Amino acid sequence: MPLTCLNTYKQARYSVFKEQNMGWKSLLLTFGVLILAAACSGSSGNGSSSETSATTTPAGASDSNGQASDSTGTGKPLEGGRLVRLFIDPPTLDPHLTTDATSATIIVEVFGGLVTIDTNLEVVADLAEGWDISGEGRVYTFRIRPDAVFHDGKPVTAEDVRWSLERATNPLTEAPNVDQYLGDIVGVDAKINGDAREISGVRVVDERTIEITIDEAKSFFLAKLTYPTAFVLDQISVEANPKNWFRKPNGTGPFMMTEYKVGETIILSRNENYHLGPPKLAEVEMILSGGTSMLMYENDEIDIAGVGLADLDRLLDPTHSLNGELLKAAPAFSIQYIGMNVNEPPLDDPKVRQALNLAVDKREIATIVLGDQVVPANGILPPGFPGYNPSVSGYDFDPVRAKQLLAESKYGGDLENIPPITITTPGSFGANVSLDMEVVLQMWEKNLGIRTEFQQTEFATFLKDLNKRRFQMFDIGWIADYPDPENFLDILFYSDSSNNHTNYNNPEVDALLEQARVETDETLRFSIYNQVEQIVLDDAPWIPLWYSGERYLLVKPRVQDYLQTPLIIPKLRHVYLTDN
Amino acid sequence: MGTYIVQRLVWLPIILLIISFITFALGRFGPGDPVEILMGQYADEQVVERVREQRGLNDNIFVQYGRYLNNVAHGDFGESFKYRGRTVSELLRNKMWVSAQLNIAALLLSVSIGIPLGLFAASKQGTSWDIGTVAMTLLGQSIPIFLTAPVLLIVFALKLDILPTHGWGGFFDTRIILPAVAMGVPGIAIITRLTRAATLEVISQDYVRTARAKGLPESIVQRRHILRNALIPVVTMLGFSVAGLFFTSFIVERFFGIPGMGSLFIEAIFARDFPIINAVIIIVTTMFVMINLIVDLIYPLLDPRIRLGGAYAS
Amino acid sequence: MLRDDAQPETEHYGQASRSYWAISIRRLLRKKIGVGCLAIILLMYGSGILAPLVTPYGYADIDLSSTKQGPSLAHPFGTDQTGRDVLTRVIYGLRTTVIITVVTLVTGSLALGITLGLVAGYFGKIIDSIIMRVGEVSSAFPEIFLVLIIVATIKAPITDWVRGIEDTIGIEIVRLGVVDYLVLSLALAIFSWFGMARLVRGQVLQVREDQYVEAARAIGCSTPRILFRHVLPNVMGPVIVMVSAGLAGVAGSEILLSFLGIGIQPPTPSLGLMIFENGNIAVLRTNPHLLLFPVLTLSLLLFTFNLLGDAVNDAFNPRAR
Repeated sequence: MPLTCLNTYKQARYSVFKEQNMGWKSLLLTFGVLILAAACSGSSGNGSSSETSATTTPAGASDSNGQASDSTGTGKPLEGGRLVRLFIDPPTLDPHLTTDATSATIIVEVFGGLVTIDTNLEVVADLAEGWDISGEGRVYTFRIRPDAVFHDGKPVTAEDVRWSLERATNPLTEAPNVDQYLGDIVGVDAKINGDAREISGVRVVDERTIEITIDEAKSFFLAKLTYPTAFVLDQISVEANPKNWFRKPNGTGPFMMTEYKVGETIILSRNENYHLGPPKLAEVEMILSGGTSMLMYENDEIDIAGVGLADLDRLLDPTHSLNGELLKAAPAFSIQYIGMNVNEPPLDDPKVRQALNLAVDKREIATIVLGDQVVPANGILPPGFPGYNPSVSGYDFDPVRAKQLLAESKYGGDLENIPPITITTPGSFGANVSLDMEVVLQMWEKNLGIRTEFQQTEFATFLKDLNKRRFQMFDIGWIADYPDPENFLDILFYSDSSNNHTNYNNPEVDALLEQARVETDETLRFSIYNQVEQIVLDDAPWIPLWYSGERYLLVKPRVQDYLQTPLIIPKLRHVYLTDN
Repeated sequence: MGTYIVQRLVWLPIILLIISFITFALGRFGPGDPVEILMGQYADEQVVERVREQRGLNDNIFVQYGRYLNNVAHGDFGESFKYRGRTVSELLRNKMWVSAQLNIAALLLSVSIGIPLGLFAASKQGTSWDIGTVAMTLLGQSIPIFLTAPVLLIVFALKLDILPTHGWGGFFDTRIILPAVAMGVPGIAIITRLTRAATLEVISQDYVRTARAKGLPESIVQRRHILRNALIPVVTMLGFSVAGLFFTSFIVERFFGIPGMGSLFIEAIFARDFPIINAVIIIVTTMFVMINLIVDLIYPLLDPRIRLGGAYAS
Repeated sequence: MLRDDAQPETEHYGQASRSYWAISIRRLLRKKIGVGCLAIILLMYGSGILAPLVTPYGYADIDLSSTKQGPSLAHPFGTDQTGRDVLTRVIYGLRTTVIITVVTLVTGSLALGITLGLVAGYFGKIIDSIIMRVGEVSSAFPEIFLVLIIVATIKAPITDWVRGIEDTIGIEIVRLGVVDYLVLSLALAIFSWFGMARLVRGQVLQVREDQYVEAARAIGCSTPRILFRHVLPNVMGPVIVMVSAGLAGVAGSEILLSFLGIGIQPPTPSLGLMIFENGNIAVLRTNPHLLLFPVLTLSLLLFTFNLLGDAVNDAFNPRAR
């Protein structure tokens, strides 16, 4: 979601320019839905640190000196130990209420659902040991693992799953985005709107079997179930203390939350009984009060720190003492873009939009202004994302062709005829967010002669105006909620989608998107999405800028197997420490 | 004096009512919608509307306000919109206490350095000692915290490695030192100047001249008249700073990792978390009015020439 | 400065005479510090106002081939992340600071604060109570919240209105950032008057009973005349000190608003925003010039203002010699 994305995006940007900690900032940004999002914000609190994104293992950042960065484990693995991270206070620990990356990062370690995402970013079983799909792809029957237990030792039953889904969809729970994540289940809409007391599409078959019926054969349904809104909670503990149960949550995840001092620390301890294999670490400490991650890292107070642009200059120097601890990863599953309202002149002419696309030299901005912390975006889907196809053709920098297209547009080459353009961005939260935008604006002026006005608004106002589609042009980002192209293309470009902020409306695209929703053959489905992506790029309601997210972080040599992933997934159980 | 206090106290509830109503109304009619932020990006209009209805946000504003006041009267400030499931009192209690401690530490620092400097400058009035002292403190006041905080951290936490980089451990913990210095230095200038001015004024007063002429030892003159007088600026300063007593700036919090009020309040503003905003405003306003009243009551004790309702009282 | 066209008799009693001002000014000019401060302030304000003439580059001239350069002959203060000249941006930032502080202080502190202070002090009673209570409230109110609401609400209509004017007169005003300056100053003025009003009121209470005011009243001077010609000049010293102290506060608020995203719109530079953006350890360790030059400029301005305030106080206050 955009916001989220925004969040992320901001964070990423933020971190690009500052190294500080501003954890809370990330929080702010994360109003959106967020799923397993990456950027985490949370992660480090601010910008700083976040390690979130990035793909799996470190590809030695120190390309410069050709040395693999990861801590080459010279030390002996330790049993147990405590990993310390800088984090920020999560707005909620109730999985059904989560919308932000910060909360999600902790929640996925403490709770679980029927399915989860593994470190290869594939949907795999969690509490379920397996499932059958029948009824032409509409009926999912999950079998729950016999060894799946809550932290207090109670076995997880099908009734627990059913109760959790009922709770998440109960209007009184006020779960954000529940219709997005669970709305495919038959009867959820009626339940959310208060027309039904129970979800008709959920049926407990026996103690360990549950059957879920969805409205159409949507193969991305399983991916949606990995989101915390579908997580399983313990009815007894929730009902015993409906307001405060999540202070001492009884989850099913690899870690138990043994201590939570609001605004100070969270301590997660190993769940010895975890059904997918207990964590190697004994404890994880999350510092919530903030601080400057870089300093804390250098003073050995934390084990992992995100690296901002300003520090990067220093750390990339091969002679710097911390150079060997620097990791580089792929960007998160998120994209930063400029949206253009296709109903607003002069942006109502595709030629103008294409010209604006062609007149921006993304590569130069990415490398020089953003210090290579982002990857210039050619298409819409991020690299590595399911359905990503490198052959879609976006816009390379071509000022000559841009000028030519502008002259061919209905406004002609005479700049006098072109109505004024204003671009709006959300408040900066102190980050120098406008820097890259300023460069973009200057490129337009230089290459096309179009002068664009810049307008920043405060965040809450921005959100409202965005949803009301009041902007002519806006700068925002989008981050993946679950690994499926539907999450980008359908949500952002389907004409009736509430997140289609550009008013883009192409019947051909709509028809293809509808077709893709129920296509069960994955190859065919992805090829439809590739077709959609190409049409959208040609129509140019967007100027895709870059895939963002934190790409660099510092990890202490004693920390092994710390993975950076472009989605928020449970990953701390793989980490171990050495005596290094 | 009695009537004066009563008068001031009568104003208090009126002021609070007006302010809280303004804040409350801004929350309902101002730009930005907390429910929209709360329910996330996918939420459609219908869902947002339902939640609004559920939370009673569609009722008549006076009904809502009445309900709110009733709750507040019972000590219930409600539940945060953003930090779901947490009450406002819980969120505020610890953070206000942290901010208050840090502010007091900073104030103590300003006072303990500022008063001696002010007395010293006054005793050397007109010399380059005087000018130099005042200029030094002014310099401290003129440098923004954006520079002092990083420099303090780099020097004491990183290079010398004698103080921790972040965190909070209460009033008697080394972690309070750097933030208190960063916050306290600008205040030194104010205290120094006020002390100097007050002292100079007293020195020229008839009763001090008389005391000296009577042959009272200089130390007694100083203790009895000059020092007592120098307390006035401290009290004044206290009155001014008290509005911020339960606040630390989010900038200080950010640099030093302090779980104080500043960040919470800014977050609340961004998220339009009105239960928190309303509560903060009511609490801070009450404190401000009360402490100003106390300050006014202290003045006559320090300086018999001041009478209530007069120049210093407001 | 007040021109003296007063009747002789009041001049005799009041200190509002030219001689008072002349003496004070002369006293001030005799102090080297005072003159030095004045010179620095004039220089800084002058270069701010004349920014387009004295700066070597444009404030938005991006040059991606020379980013984050340290100070050099071509760029005495170095360049920023997009290769813009920091010296140029500092001077333009100075202009922003100058405009906002002056407008806010003149409208808020001076106009609103002094008038209300005089009225409260002179009339007393219920008027006094109302003004003081309202002021107390406005200074207790966490201003950032209200300013945010105000700016978010009034900015759009004001911008539209200015655009309307633009269409008729054909000059681009919005692009100059006038609207930002206006809206910010208005919003800040609401919170900056009380300190001044309180101070003036206190002084008025003391002066009110003085013989020369009674005398003026006895000879039939009108109330406004008494207030502005007799009472006001007596409180000028503290007022000036207050103004100089208030500058720092206004400059600080400007940083905050930028942080919220409702301050001066980029690419117009502002010292506050430059400091905020670069005010962190990483920049200080890697590209210190990005932080140091804006900070030093702002600090110098605030420092000289504070110093000048002291000098003025000494010069204008008859008690302090």
